[in-house]
Amino acid sequence: MNNSKYLLHLFCLCMIQIAILDNIQLHSFVHINIYPLAILIMPYKIKKVTVLFTAFLLGLVLDMANNTVGIHIAAATFVAYIRPKMLQLTSNREQVDDIPGAGLNKSFGWFLKYLFLSMLAFHTVLILAEAFSFANFSITLLRIVCSTVVSCFFILLYYFIALKKKQE
Amino acid sequence: MKNIIKLILRYHFTIIFILLEFVAFSLIVEHNRYQRTIFSTYTSTFFFNLSSQVKEIRGYFELRQENRKLVEENTILRNKIGVLTDQLEEVPVWDSLHTDSNYHFYSGKTINATYNKTKNYITLNRGTEEGILQEMAVTSIDGVVGIIQNVSNHHSIVLPLVNTNLRVSAKIRKNGYYGSLQWDGKDYRYSYLNDIPFHVNVEQGDTIVTSGFTSIFPEGEVIGFVETVDRETANFLTIKVKLATDFRKLSNVYIIGHRRKEEKRELETAAYDQMQNNE
Repeated sequence: MNNSKYLLHLFCLCMIQIAILDNIQLHSFVHINIYPLAILIMPYKIKKVTVLFTAFLLGLVLDMANNTVGIHIAAATFVAYIRPKMLQLTSNREQVDDIPGAGLNKSFGWFLKYLFLSMLAFHTVLILAEAFSFANFSITLLRIVCSTVVSCFFILLYYFIALKKKQE
Repeated sequence: MKNIIKLILRYHFTIIFILLEFVAFSLIVEHNRYQRTIFSTYTSTFFFNLSSQVKEIRGYFELRQENRKLVEENTILRNKIGVLTDQLEEVPVWDSLHTDSNYHFYSGKTINATYNKTKNYITLNRGTEEGILQEMAVTSIDGVVGIIQNVSNHHSIVLPLVNTNLRVSAKIRKNGYYGSLQWDGKDYRYSYLNDIPFHVNVEQGDTIVTSGFTSIFPEGEVIGFVETVDRETANFLTIKVKLATDFRKLSNVYIIGHRRKEEKRELETAAYDQMQNNE
């Protein structure tokens, strides 16, 4: 995937997030966030620090849209930080070389694992930053899990509609 | 220096990440009211604890000075006590010591007392001849004893705190919350203070004094000290009070008369009647 295509995805994800998903109120426990996918599918050859700053800006945009200054920045930056470690953890060398290249098709299981763990980390930071205390921790935990599962579902929808088709 | 730069270059990714997260969290605390409240609560508690610890430690260094001051004060007070004792021998009337001229003090002695029933009574050797009237207050040197119930020519009967029929309006000295004190009829050493709201901070050893509302007791006479605090009902505390007076060895008492009680009562009755008429 070249850079222009990636930028298109980035723009699409942002627009979908701000225009549609931020207006959906499923339940007070559920936050739907698909924009972290833009950080996850960034080409691997891009410098790590660039990813970090992109994530920071992305979080800033989302925060301005949601009027929650700082929370999305913290979560998005965290995902960008753990992205290299997450890639090493979930895959071997070959897969890392071309994310989200042609290999994605064959290793859907890997993508799912990578996605789920990253989203779990993302929502952990996001919801802890929002709650800002460890009181009622069971409820916080439930919110993290619910948000992760629902967000992963929506990301997979996007994946099957936009990403996978292009690769075929 | 070279090593530091090397270190920074090596971990620049992590350092940048930490910086960005720092920016993010400072933004969160700065711009979100909810998070700012929690943050300031935690930090203020932390710094309050820190400063009180420091203060406590610093207090030790000033102990010598404090001691000297206290000794000096003690000598002054002792001198004053000496002078006052001399004066007391010359003027035997008790009320000369009390500047509060609304109250008049009589001395008395118990000549009969019970403490092991639920309706205990104390008999005093003073009566109408000496100027004792109904509903005067009785205290001892330790604290409140009770209220005069019946008077004869030379004797009077006291309804003490250890009688289930007596309710005394009492308050906590340190914060002024008031409730009613009533004995439960069991142990003559303890009584119970009711009707204190649950949010009031009461600790063991706090002093319970009379509230002065009923104009029987002067304000601030010591009743007892808090023994335990229970929250039996949803909104009120039940406070077990260790009575300051030991009813088993009670001997010398003071009977307190309110000089302007009739005046106060008339005023209150008049106001009450007027209110009733207006309605």
